[in-house]
Amino acid sequence: MSAPKWLALGRNALWILNPFLGIIAYYHQEINFSIYFQWLGKMHPMLLHFPIVMGLGIAGYYIFSTDVKKMSPLFSPLLTVHSLITTIIAIFGIFLSKQGSYDNNLIFWHQWGGVGFAYMSWGLMSLHEYNDSFKTLYSFRALFSILFAGILIFFTHKGAQLTHGTHLLSWPEEEFNRELKINLDNTATLYERAIGPLLQQKCLSCHGPEKAKGDLLLNSPDNILKGGKHGAILMSQNNTNSLLLERLFLPLSDENHMPPEGKLQLTKEELSLLNYWVLSGVNLKIKMNELAQSDSLFLLAHHWMPSIPYSDRPKTKFPNLEKYNSNYCTAYYSYTGSDNIEVSFYQGEFYTHENLKRLTPIQSQIVYLNMQNMPLKDEDIAFIAQCEHLQKLNINYTQLTPDQLFPLKKLTQLKSISICGLAYDEETWHAFFKNAPFDKIHLWSENLDTPQIDMIRKAYPKINFTFGDNLKNNLIKITSPIIDQDSSIITDYLDINITHFLEGTEIRYTTNGTDPDSLSSSEFKNPFRITDHTTIKAKAFKSGWISSDVIQKTFYRSEISPDTIFLITQPHRQYPGNGIQTLVDYQLGDQNFSNGKWLGYLDDNMVFVIGFHQNKKLKEARFNTLIDNASYIFPLTSIKVAGSLDGIRFKILNEIKFPSLKKDDFKIENKSFNCPIPGENSYKFYKFTLTNLKNLPDWHPGKNTPAWIFIDELFLN
Amino acid sequence: MNELLEHGLNQNRRKFLSKISLGLGGLGLGSLMVPDIFDRPDKADIISKVLPHFAPKAKKVIYLFQNGAPSQLDLFDYKPMLQKMHGEDLPASIRNGQRLTGMTSNQTTFPLAGSRFNFSQHGSHGGWFSETIPHIADIADDLCIVKSMYTEAINHDPALTFFQTGAQVGNRPSLGSWVSYGLGSDNKNLPAFCVLLSKGKGNGQGVYSKLWNNGFLDSIHQGVQFSSGEEPVKYLSDPPFIARGDKRAMLDEIAALNQQSYEKIGDPEIVAKIQQYELSYRMQMAVPEITSLKNEPESVVKMYGPECLVPGSYAANCLLARKLSENGVRFVQLYHQGWDGHGNLPSELIGQCKDVDQPSAALVKDLKQRGLLDETLVIWGGEFGRTNYCQGPLTRDNYGRDHHPRCFTIWMAGGGVKPGMHGETDEFGYNINSLPVHVHDFHATIMHLMGINHEAFTYKHLGRRYRLTDVSGNIINDLIA
Repeated sequence: MSAPKWLALGRNALWILNPFLGIIAYYHQEINFSIYFQWLGKMHPMLLHFPIVMGLGIAGYYIFSTDVKKMSPLFSPLLTVHSLITTIIAIFGIFLSKQGSYDNNLIFWHQWGGVGFAYMSWGLMSLHEYNDSFKTLYSFRALFSILFAGILIFFTHKGAQLTHGTHLLSWPEEEFNRELKINLDNTATLYERAIGPLLQQKCLSCHGPEKAKGDLLLNSPDNILKGGKHGAILMSQNNTNSLLLERLFLPLSDENHMPPEGKLQLTKEELSLLNYWVLSGVNLKIKMNELAQSDSLFLLAHHWMPSIPYSDRPKTKFPNLEKYNSNYCTAYYSYTGSDNIEVSFYQGEFYTHENLKRLTPIQSQIVYLNMQNMPLKDEDIAFIAQCEHLQKLNINYTQLTPDQLFPLKKLTQLKSISICGLAYDEETWHAFFKNAPFDKIHLWSENLDTPQIDMIRKAYPKINFTFGDNLKNNLIKITSPIIDQDSSIITDYLDINITHFLEGTEIRYTTNGTDPDSLSSSEFKNPFRITDHTTIKAKAFKSGWISSDVIQKTFYRSEISPDTIFLITQPHRQYPGNGIQTLVDYQLGDQNFSNGKWLGYLDDNMVFVIGFHQNKKLKEARFNTLIDNASYIFPLTSIKVAGSLDGIRFKILNEIKFPSLKKDDFKIENKSFNCPIPGENSYKFYKFTLTNLKNLPDWHPGKNTPAWIFIDELFLN
Repeated sequence: MNELLEHGLNQNRRKFLSKISLGLGGLGLGSLMVPDIFDRPDKADIISKVLPHFAPKAKKVIYLFQNGAPSQLDLFDYKPMLQKMHGEDLPASIRNGQRLTGMTSNQTTFPLAGSRFNFSQHGSHGGWFSETIPHIADIADDLCIVKSMYTEAINHDPALTFFQTGAQVGNRPSLGSWVSYGLGSDNKNLPAFCVLLSKGKGNGQGVYSKLWNNGFLDSIHQGVQFSSGEEPVKYLSDPPFIARGDKRAMLDEIAALNQQSYEKIGDPEIVAKIQQYELSYRMQMAVPEITSLKNEPESVVKMYGPECLVPGSYAANCLLARKLSENGVRFVQLYHQGWDGHGNLPSELIGQCKDVDQPSAALVKDLKQRGLLDETLVIWGGEFGRTNYCQGPLTRDNYGRDHHPRCFTIWMAGGGVKPGMHGETDEFGYNINSLPVHVHDFHATIMHLMGINHEAFTYKHLGRRYRLTDVSGNIINDLIA
């Protein structure tokens, strides 16, 4: 059997077209087809009937002819042609799908059904041409054909629903008039305001004049009272057993639940409304203005609005919400799939009304708005007051006037409002809280005192207030001032500045070693200059605060620097500092032992020698050290100084011992140890030996091990 | 019969393969119609479009990490039994052969150490608080206290790394980085993830940048460390005499160059770099305003304590955390060092509490009074707990406690957690009696509060998908309001 050339070409074309179809179907949402393709797409509805008829014919032919050999020789080319047409029309279908706003769900099934059918058609052709068992086994052929026809019917039905509506095959039904008439006047009856329209929207499609299922009509007060084939549905005298309520409150899964599953359901509020209405005696005549404003029935009816069925909901989706975002404004959906939008503004110095106005298209979907610290003006407030679905608003520190703030009370959905930093008087606050719709108010203001706050809480029990702590008048100790001079070593002079973080703080200081007080000590105004060894003590004072602790800092004068200096014992390998230079670099280490500015000794005493070109008389040597006994760093136990003229034979000049720490006295501090050098003799070399504590005391966690010493500077005078 | 043609039409392997080439042609043709098919949009973009998975209860997190492991037995987990049995040996039936650290496993005895501090009940739930934390006790009604946390790690580095990244070994993204990757920054002028460090006087343990590392995520998600001193963010300010306009022009040129090399090399880190330059340019405007604490009302200064004006203190960091958080930073991570009380625990604890108690409570109160607490989750806790027995010499007033991963206490506030006391430990404070909360569970719960399904939130790296919670973690519904 030979195939004509066109058939071979056609089969090759299938190899190209089918993968092509697959890829554009998979990515169809991202492709923008040009106008030519769109025109081709319009061929889809016109041409699609051919392959449907052919496909059903092919399936039928397979089922009814049991012997392949007896099949018409035309059947084989027909299969190829069918496959080709199906694939091409499916491709057109994809082109078309981009043009209309079709139901996504239907499109999905129709599209993939169509693609699947095109592939099956190709597969059928291949099986027919090349597969032996397909040729010999009738059952295989028949089964495949039935599946083939089944898919064909399923997906073409989905396609038909796209163009002719989902109920195209349902029994003809009179178009139901769904236009709701709600009377919003005060003088309207409760029935006209809410009950009637509610029943009309949720129940009348089945219990209206067109259908009257269960012989029940809910379209007028009389019919409602009459009931249906099961009798009255609301028993107006003894309402303990109302059929209406029973059916409404059954779980959704129950067969008798109303409205039936799949229909638009009642909201929680609507259920409460009907429940109250029935339980309060089914009053069909009562007018809205005859109900008390605090009556649940009034409130529920007053706020009732027809539900918007999800599928028809006039919501605008903003897949590109990003375009409402700027560097100073963030807008996003509350979560994926939500329609609620949350908006925050940042950096008030860049805020203009334009930034807010840009959000007008999404205004009605904003549920959360954060405008803290923004310089809001009247037009901004006007915009906010129109965000009808706003639920949470943060306008802390926006300096609104009462005239600006009050219109926000109109936002009935607004439940939580944050208005910190407003300095209104009590009367204004009361006016604001009265009849406010808010459940939560965050109001932190230094202007309200405790009795006023208690009054407010009592007057508006429905509102949950957060006032925060007002500590303005609590007496708390202020922090110490800061002596703002990094260097501690005076070679020539140093300028001393004393500052405090809290503005308006008075700083008093002394240089004579006494503690400063608020009367006799001089007040720090401008930086001053010191030239000699000085201990500065300073203290901060401020009204409304307890005065601070005294802070002190000692400045050392270093008159003499040695011509040569070298270490006899090396520091511990972990804390070598900058070698011997550490001692004479004029930089004091701070309280951090691991900053590389310290020489640390553990196993050895520190021994070093200084030398001068000529003999030199020293009066004293002062060492700056670190004490941090939680980290096993203890004070020096002794300093020994020896002098020599030749650098070989040393003569001990002085040895001073220092007390150790008291029990449990944990601290971190810098401490200087002074070693006077008595006598009148001058020496060329001086040797110093600084010893550490060899056994930590029993109260220390490291008892019986040696203590560290940390030294970083030597001053000679 | 044209045999040649028939041969040509026969299906054989050669024929099949050659026809597949036609198919590839068809695929190629189709792919021409799909824009950017081989250059898919950034994964992060796609992620941010599907997150949060559901309505979040917490939009932001402030994590007050108490680095070094505070002693739950001296703060929240009141055990009169330990005071009664002070000095007696830990019953072997309680320890049950569980492993100890090398620091105490050689001890011949394990004398129980009752807390030196007095405890009292606070709040409507009647939770116990030690006298060292009066301010935190004051806000008891806002706190969700979990006394039954546990972890596997027994030493600081792995335990910290576990808490911060969901794994004991390094190189995984930090919790804050995951949040930054998933939810992005709310304020485009500030990083989504900021880190603040402070140090108490107690025995300290290191913090290191791997704790706020982005791991395999883009480096834009790395935590940005704020430091004390003149420059809160290092290398942010311009050199002198550089005008802002010049800077803009320079950045534009650099971005163009970077873009070129990205097109050439395709390394995503180049894009991250461009974004970082842009962010830092905008941060130059935002940071000085936010880090300045000078405009805070005196009443706020008194609430946090005057230490809050000293840059680099825990109190200052708490205040700064509030400012960052209210300005849209998703995740603010504080670390306060100095809780590692192996010895002299009581005196060190008093010092630590002095630093931490008032500012921690003030932060919760401050958020609450501004209406921000219900959208901000505050977490307070360390990496594990401390033992009920003493390390080193024991006296009535002085003791040390070793690491104890089998139970410890953390607390949370705001952000959709349920206030109250949750979980119970045994009367010795050694094992958990009810509601065990593992670190993975804790992470899963935080993710849940932020509207993220921790099982669906993954990142593919080295051929597998990674989650913060790895392959475990259950949401603890008892903790959720």
